[in-house]
Formats: sequence, structure tokens, C-alpha cells
Amino acid sequence: MVSRASDSSSKSRKSYSEQSNDGLGNLTYKLNQLKKQVQAERVVSVKDKIEKNRKKIENDISQLLSTTSRKSVIFAMDNGFGNMPLCKYSGFPQGLGDRDYVNSHEVVLSTSSKLSHVQKIPPYTTWIFLDKNQRMAEDQSVVGRRRIYYDQHGSEALVCSDSEEDIIEPEEEKHEFSDGEDRILWTVFEEHGLGEEVINAVSQFIGIATSEVQDRYSTLKEKYDGKNLKEFEDAGHERGIALEKSLSAALDSFDNLFCRRCLLFDCRLHGCSQTLINPSEKQPYWSEYEDDRKPCSNHCYLQSRAVQDTVEGSAGNISSIITNTEGTLLHCNAEVPGAHSDIMAGERCNSKRVLPVTSEAVDSSEVAIGNENTDTSMQSLGKRKALELNDSVKVFDEIEESLNKKQKKLLPLDVLTASSDGIPRPDTKSGHHVGAINDNELQMTSKNTIKKSVSAKVVSHNNIEHNIMDGAKDVNKEPEMKQSFSKGELPEGVLCSSEWKPIEKELYLKGVEIFGRNSCLIARNLLSGLKTCMEVSTYMRDSSSSMPHKSVAPSSFLEETVKVDTDYAEQEMPARPRLLRRRGRARKLKYSWKSAGHPSIWKRIADGKNQSCKQYTPCGCQSMCGKQCPCLHNGTCCEKYCGCSKSCKNRFRGCHCAKSQCRSRQCPCFAAGRECDPDVCRNCWVSCGDGSLGEPPKRGDGQCGNMRLLLRQQQRILLAKSDVAGWGAFLKNSVSKNDYLGEYTGELISHREADKRGKIYDRANSSFLFDLNDQYVLDAYRKGDKLKFANHSSNPNCFAKVMLVAGDHRVGIFAKEHIEASEELFYDYRYGPDQAPAWARKPEGSKREDSSVSQGRAKKHQSH
Amino acid sequence: MARTAIGCEPLVGSLTPSKKREYRVTNKLQEGKRPLYAVVFNFIDSRYFNVFATVGGNRVTVYQCLEGGVIAALQSYVDEDKEESFYTVSWACNVDGIPFLVAGGINGIIRVIDVSNEKLHKSFVGHGDSINEIRTQPLKPSLVVSASKDESVRLWNVQTGICILIFAGAGGHRNEVLSVDFHPSDIYRIASCGMDNTVKIWSMKEFWTYVEKSFTWTDLPSKFPTKYVQFPVFIASVHSNYVDCNRWLGDFILSKSVDNEIVLWEPKMKEQSPGEGTADILQKYPVPECDIWFIKFSCDFHYNAAAIGNREGKIFVWELQSSPPVLIARLICFSLHVKYNPQSVY
Repeated sequence: MVSRASDSSSKSRKSYSEQSNDGLGNLTYKLNQLKKQVQAERVVSVKDKIEKNRKKIENDISQLLSTTSRKSVIFAMDNGFGNMPLCKYSGFPQGLGDRDYVNSHEVVLSTSSKLSHVQKIPPYTTWIFLDKNQRMAEDQSVVGRRRIYYDQHGSEALVCSDSEEDIIEPEEEKHEFSDGEDRILWTVFEEHGLGEEVINAVSQFIGIATSEVQDRYSTLKEKYDGKNLKEFEDAGHERGIALEKSLSAALDSFDNLFCRRCLLFDCRLHGCSQTLINPSEKQPYWSEYEDDRKPCSNHCYLQSRAVQDTVEGSAGNISSIITNTEGTLLHCNAEVPGAHSDIMAGERCNSKRVLPVTSEAVDSSEVAIGNENTDTSMQSLGKRKALELNDSVKVFDEIEESLNKKQKKLLPLDVLTASSDGIPRPDTKSGHHVGAINDNELQMTSKNTIKKSVSAKVVSHNNIEHNIMDGAKDVNKEPEMKQSFSKGELPEGVLCSSEWKPIEKELYLKGVEIFGRNSCLIARNLLSGLKTCMEVSTYMRDSSSSMPHKSVAPSSFLEETVKVDTDYAEQEMPARPRLLRRRGRARKLKYSWKSAGHPSIWKRIADGKNQSCKQYTPCGCQSMCGKQCPCLHNGTCCEKYCGCSKSCKNRFRGCHCAKSQCRSRQCPCFAAGRECDPDVCRNCWVSCGDGSLGEPPKRGDGQCGNMRLLLRQQQRILLAKSDVAGWGAFLKNSVSKNDYLGEYTGELISHREADKRGKIYDRANSSFLFDLNDQYVLDAYRKGDKLKFANHSSNPNCFAKVMLVAGDHRVGIFAKEHIEASEELFYDYRYGPDQAPAWARKPEGSKREDSSVSQGRAKKHQSH
Repeated sequence: MARTAIGCEPLVGSLTPSKKREYRVTNKLQEGKRPLYAVVFNFIDSRYFNVFATVGGNRVTVYQCLEGGVIAALQSYVDEDKEESFYTVSWACNVDGIPFLVAGGINGIIRVIDVSNEKLHKSFVGHGDSINEIRTQPLKPSLVVSASKDESVRLWNVQTGICILIFAGAGGHRNEVLSVDFHPSDIYRIASCGMDNTVKIWSMKEFWTYVEKSFTWTDLPSKFPTKYVQFPVFIASVHSNYVDCNRWLGDFILSKSVDNEIVLWEPKMKEQSPGEGTADILQKYPVPECDIWFIKFSCDFHYNAAAIGNREGKIFVWELQSSPPVLIARLICFSLHVKYNPQSVY
């Protein structure tokens, strides 16, 4: 470093003298000046640091001294070396004698204490227990890294950069600018401008590309110029919470870090930033009947009646009631797709519920017609309420009558709505229907609108489909109503409905996707602390009203569900009507023995070959997988993690074996080298014990016998000194043939990495590599479990099998025969004929020659 | 080595001896034919500052420096296993201040010797391979750390015989650990280095309850809930070859590889992202002909000077805390065995 520094300085000095005549001379001089200054400052700063550190050390030392001397105070009595010295050797006293000549004494000790023998343990490298395979972290790679190995005698040998292709040329590293360089850059450019010559001179001086110099200058410029601005922004950023972000931005970490296969964050097996696969089939909403629903909070829309009692005479209340009753209806509709057969019951419940409210509203509107004083009308309404609740059916009849009188124009609607099962109506009819409503609306004052909406709801008792239609129309009018009432006292909850932030809107949409139009659940689960249930239901109604009149289109039959449905429809199957889709879903139960698995997979198994073991990566195909499907292309089946629908031809369909089977090749899963999956197979389920929670699933009793890796139904393995060589794995309890013993876990590394590590491990004569599939090799060297210590034998009592468990290949160790308790476990590492190390090739019975030798493992290549 | 940016240059010491101090060989002792791998003075108990121990082969020997340049051999211990070859030894003591010697070597078994009673106190079996260095926590001399070929660093309580922590795993060393050292004042901090070319700084702050627990543990040591510390707080790639020795100098670290120099650098950690950070190389102490590995250096009690041998049997004594560094002396030694030479307090 010294020589280089002086080199460069002399060089620049020379160039200075050469160029001193031209304009650049001054610049070069300046650069050197600056460099010297920076370097001088560096010297000073290092000295400062050392000095500061020296003070700290002094402090530390005094502390240490007190620790060491305190002891001698407490234990003044010498309990140390009480005995006489064994022998003494006198050299030259200090200050005397010849510098270069010293007597040499051979230390002869008459007595020495024995350190008793302690049993040594077999050698091993410290390893971490893994109950689940992990993908190798990037920084653990040995590929392209220079590693030096010394053999026993200390002579140097290079192993790891032997072949040329291995040495990855490090990408032109981005120069890290030091503060000093920044200063030179800045000062020079500030003084001499950004001329090409200047840039060239600077880049030469620092020794980096001109482009980098320019880039750095602009960043510096930004830094200095925008310093104040940035600070301001930062402060602002801290204050404004995440609500300003969009949902996708807020979900970024979720999308990137959450593993949807393992359902945990930072999955070490599948890694971060997996491609997001959106299943083409949505799960049905989690439905809950209106009747069973309890108000979720004080601000629940179901609570609105109570609210009404407390808030006196606010006309706004009516609007909110109506809003909410509509909300209720909307919910009912939202549930319709989920539980179609129950619609009628649900409707009835709903209508009953709606009734009291509607009657109130009707009453109020009746009063309102006669008397413009809303306050009194509301109060009377409040009083009446109790009565009406008691006999809602009766009231309903009354209302119906009254409404029929008043809203004659609505009556024809009843006739129109004959189609209760949701068959699309002809255009003309619906057009007429809308027209009728519009007529009504035109004639009505805002209070009449309420009446109308109420009437529409009453009608809904007769025909839910129609009712919903009307409700939706009502909704269109709602904003007007709200405006007219907004001047009055609105209850708190309703107030902020206009202030929906983008993220709240997006959260709401997600909520609709998940829960359907259930404002309780949406508010509680997604907008908790942000919006109340009532606000959500208000918003729900508003947003559906803002929808264009899609309902009129013949293809859709439920306007309320239009919003949700079309959202889906647009995403997945735009051309498919709902009914058809549902039929498609129903087919999922139609399993057939022969349909299980992809034909090509069958063949491979039938050939009696080992599993092909292709790494599975979920495809993102929507609906059906075509020729371009990556799974198909790769030769793997589609799994439940794929985006495609369950009816995809390439899906592995699981088995439908009878209970407690799946233990032979009769089972398609077993035959395909897969574990059964309770999500996919028909009869393979996981029990929760005898119903008492927390009880581990019992083995054997009626459960599938082919989910043992998944359920970790493993044996207790003991680690001890092997009877053969090094460490060995032993069994605690006896097992019978084909019992699952445990999993061979490790780091998932690429084949390229495995080649590289293999060389290193071969050198140490201890390898824990296990071929997993076409993409990965398991390395249990530093991470694994006790089964990695099971030794090789050509006449083993265990066997290893690669199983596909929920889309992942895993290695299970199984008993090849009945094994007694505390027997040592062996299995055949199955080295290829040309790959086996010498010791593994030898016939059984020949003695091992090295203690560490037996720890090798089935490895893919042995590239010598 | 990467080019040093302007403004980050280290100060390099000059190899001209300052002759500030004179060193003379006063005694020359030889223990049989086997090489001595370590010699260490007692720094943890001021009563025994004049006592030192050597290890070589299967033998541990204790000496005392007496008046007039006289050296007395006090005790000697021989491992019954003739195959044992001790690589390292360190002084420690139990909570009552009774001095212990802790030695380890090729067998991977740590021997704790109670020198006041002249008997084996305990043997720690656990390391999977040979032990390259043992160091004692100066503020709590019942705690020792061991660096091993099995890629781990382990923290032991010599009093109770408990392996408290294992520094290895996901962020651990990827090859033999050659050297380890306790921070002089930050009791939670250790630095380790090894054949994976890195220096790693570890913190046991979050695991300190286990350290305390180890003092009161009465059950079998094997039942102690030994914890893995998998992630270091700092990983430095200061060297491009084996790092065979590192020592704290205050908050800075002295380390050496096979580049004919000892490097003093400051670890600059990033608060938000543990494990990351940069190393600012402050000073360099050249040591010519020191390009083979497993040559360690050693500091005196006050961290004023460090001594290191080289391939030709010369010893360089550097003043550590002067800036730029000053070479105190260059000594010519007759024996090539001296690889490790601590400066005594004298």
C-alpha cells in the first residue's frame, strides 16, 4: 500500500510538471493538493481514533487490574503453588552477560501428574438440527469462491478455483466512494465546472470510469442541494402513517415474504419473492345467517335501531336505517351464492328483520306527508317501535296495505318478478321495471323516496329477487337522500363515510372478496380501528350504487351481487355464467381411479424406474392448463398450489382408497411416490384424536398410512458411537417392516453447488450429500438431523425413499425389515457404480479402513 | 486486496526498530523434542503474574520467573493419551480464585487442571474436532471460549463444566475456527476468525441469562440447555486468506493473515442491519517473512506491545498504540519452535 501510494503521487507529480503549461496543469495540481489534504486529515483522524482508543484501553486495564488484584487481597493466603518447584534453571541475571549467548537447559522433570484418559468422541462438524429442509442462503455458496486447502503436512493445495469456468469474473464492482473522494470530486467540479477534461482528469485520478464520476457528482449534488428538502420529506413521511400507501404497496412484504405453501413468513424452504399464484377458483364466502348474527359492536349496522332510540328526531337516522336495512338485504344476497338452497329461509329471516324497520320508516314517511315536522314524526316512531317489534308480521300486513294504496305504481313490479330462481329476465321487462321506478322517483320528494325504498323492501318479502332489484335502485337514490339529510344531525358513525382512503377502499374490496358483503366481518377483520361496521355498510351501499346499471343486462340476475361477481368474472372467466361454473366445481368429487395422475407419470412408475423426481413449481395458469403450462412442460403434475382449476387435466387427483390403506402400490399416491394429501385425496383425512383438542393424531386407527412425513409420525432416533465407524444412528423402539423412521433433512443446494461441495467433502472423506431431484441436492453437512449419521451398508435394514409431500420432495427413511429396539440403522447409499468411494464398493464384511469414512452419503456426481 | 480509496489509507509502521526497549534472552529451556505450541503468562491473578505455562505434545508445564533471571519449573502434567497434542492453553480460575489451566488440542477434549491441587478438575468432551485456541474472559475468569476445527466457538463455564453457548450455525464459520478473543471490557462480545477468511464478532447479550444460569446449575452439565448463537453481529472480510489470529485492541481488532502484516481495523456496524458493516483499516504492522499460517501474535497485559515470530525465527515487537506504529525491537531467536511469544509484564 505504501509503495502504491508513493507511486501514484510521484506519477501525478510528473504529470503535473508535464502539463503545467496547459490549462489542465492547474487542475492536476489542485487534485494533488486535495489528495494530500485528505490524506493528511486521514492521518490525523486515525491518530485521534487510536488516541481515543488508548484512553479506553487504559480505563479497561485499570478495571482489569482491580479484578486481578482484588482476588489477592481476599485470598492473601497462598492457596496456589504451595509445593516446592520441581527444578530451577538460572539464566543470566538481567543486565549481565553476552547478548548473543545463552545457556540452553533441557527441562528434566522428575514427576508429573497424569491427566487421566477420557474417551474421545468421533469427529464431526458442528451442525444445526433441521426439522424441515431449507434452501441454501445465497451467501453460503462455495461456487466461484477461492478456497485453499492444506493437507496434513501444511503444504498448500488449491481446490476450489481449479476449473476455469468456476471462476466467475466478479462483475465490475461499483466503486464505493470514500468521503475523501467525495470531497475531491465536489471541490473540483464546483471550482472547475463539469468540463470533459475535468471529468477525465478526476476519473483518472481516482481510477474509475468517467460515468461513475458523473453519477456520483449528481448524487452528491442532490444530497447537498436537496438536503433540507429531504429532511422535510423524511419528517413528513414519519408522521403520515401507512394509510397513504396503496394496498399493494402495503402488502408488498406480505406478498414477498409470506409463503403460501408453508403459511409462514420468511420460509426457508421456498424462499422469498415467490411468484404469486392466484387460484382461479375462489372459495365460497364464509357465510353466516343474518339471524344468527349478533351486533359486532356499538357501531354495527344491526345496532342502528338502538342508535335510533337514542338520537332524537334526526331525519338522518332514517336514512341510516334504510341504508342499513338495505345493507342487510345486500348481505342476504351476498350469501345467496354460498348457500343457494337456503335462500328462502334466509330471505324470510331477513324480511322479518327488515320489517320493523321498514314499518317505522313507512310510518315516519306517512307522518311526514301529513306533517312537515320531522322531529315529532321521529319521536312517535320511536314510541311505536316497541309495539311494532312485538307484532311485526301484523304490522307488515298493515304496511303492505298502506303501501299498496300509496305506491300503486309499484304494484306491477310484483307481477314482473316471477322469476325467483334468478333466470335472466327479458330486456323489455326489466326495462319496464326500471322505468317504473324512475317514474316513481321523479314524482317523489326526498321523503317519498324513503317511502318508496321502504315499499320496495316490503315487496321484497314477496319476491326476494325483485326486492333486491328495487333495493339497488333505491341505492341509486341514496346519495341524494344523504345530501338532503346531511344538514341535519347525523350520527357520528355515518359522518366519515366520505373520507375513505385508497387503502381503505382496497381493503374493503378485499373484504368483499373474502367475506362477501358482510360488513361486520369486513369491519372487524380488515378495517378494525379504521372504519366501523356501519360505515362499511354505508360504503357498501354507496359503492354498489355507483356501479353502472349492469343489472339490466340479461346475463346477470342479481344486481346486488353484480359488483362482487363481476369483479371475479372479469378476473377469471368472463364469458361463463355462474351456474356453469358451479357445475364445474361440483365435479371435484368425481374421482376416478384411472384419472389419477398424469399419464406420463403413470408410465414412469409402471416402468419400475425410480421416481423421476422433477422439482415442482406451481404454475400460474388460469382455469385450464394448456400446452404452455410450465408444469406440463416440466413433466410434473399440477398440484393444489397451482393457479389452475381443480378440473385441470394435469392435476394429480389424489386417491380414493378406503380407510387405512394407501400402503401399497394399489394406491395411486403411493405408487407415484407421493404422500396422500388430505386436501386432495378423498378418504385420507387427519383426525383430531377422540374429539378432545390437542390430542395428537393416533397412528393406525382408520387414518391414512401414507401421510407419515407430512404428519411427522417418526420414530425416536438416538445418536451414538457406531459399531461400524464414526457416529451411528440407533433406534429407540422396535419397528416393523416398512415403518417410517424419520426424515433426512438438510440444505437444498443446486447440483452445481453440490459438485463443488462434493470435492471439498471428498477431501475430508465425509459427505452428507443426497440427491433429491433434478434441481436440488440435499446437504446435511451443517444442517440436518440425526439420521444423517446412519451408516452405509450393502445389506441394510433401512431404505431411503424420496417422497413428494405437498409439492416438495422429501427423503424418508423407512424400515426394510423388522428392527429391534436400540439396533443401529443402515441403509444403502446407492452410489452409482463409478461414483462409489472405495470403501463403499467393497463387499460386505470387509473392514473399514478409516473412521470417518462411513459418513458419506448418496451423492450425485463424483467429479474427479 | 482491493484498492484502498483515497482518505481510507491505513498508517503503516516503519520496519526500522526504534530501540525504545532492549530485549535479551535470559534463559533458554527445552522440553524434550516435541514442539511447544503455546506459552502463556497468567494475566488474571496478580499473585501469579510471574507464572507461565507451556503446552507441547501431550504435556502441560507450569513455570515461575524468579529473581535474578531464574526460572523454576513448578508443575507438569502429561495426558495419558500419547496421541494428544495440545495446541493451546489459557489461565482461568473458579469463583474462589483458585487458578486453573485450560488446555486443548488435537483430541478436541478440553482439560481443566486445578493447579493449586495439582489435579485434573474436569474434562470437556463436546467439540467434534481439534481445538485451536482457548481464551479466558478477563472480567469473569471462570468463562472460557474455545475455537475448534469443527467450525464452532463454544463458551464454557470451567467451574461447573457447562457448555453454555455454541457460536455456529447459519451465520457461523464455514471452516476451521483458528482464533477467538474476548472483548476487554464489553463482557458480551467476542471475536473469532478462521480458515473461511472472515473475522466474526458475536454478541451474547441476548443469551446472558444462560451464562448466569451456568453458575448456579447443579444438575448434570449435559442437561444444561446449551444454546446456539447462529448469527454474528458483524462479519468482516479484511483478509483474503486464512485469518489465524485476532485480538481486541480496545474497540478495534488486530488480526493477521498470511500477508506479512498485522492489521488494526475498526468494525463499523450498521445499527439497523446486524451482520453487516464495514471494516476501516487504520494501521498496519508489517512482519516480513510471515506468510505461512498458524503464526500467532500476542499482546502484553497493558496492550502496549505485540510480539510475533516469523518463518525465519525472528521476533518483531510492535508498539501497538502509537500512530503510526513503531517497531520496538527485532529479535533474533535461535529456536524455530517459538511461534508464540507473549510479552510479559516485565
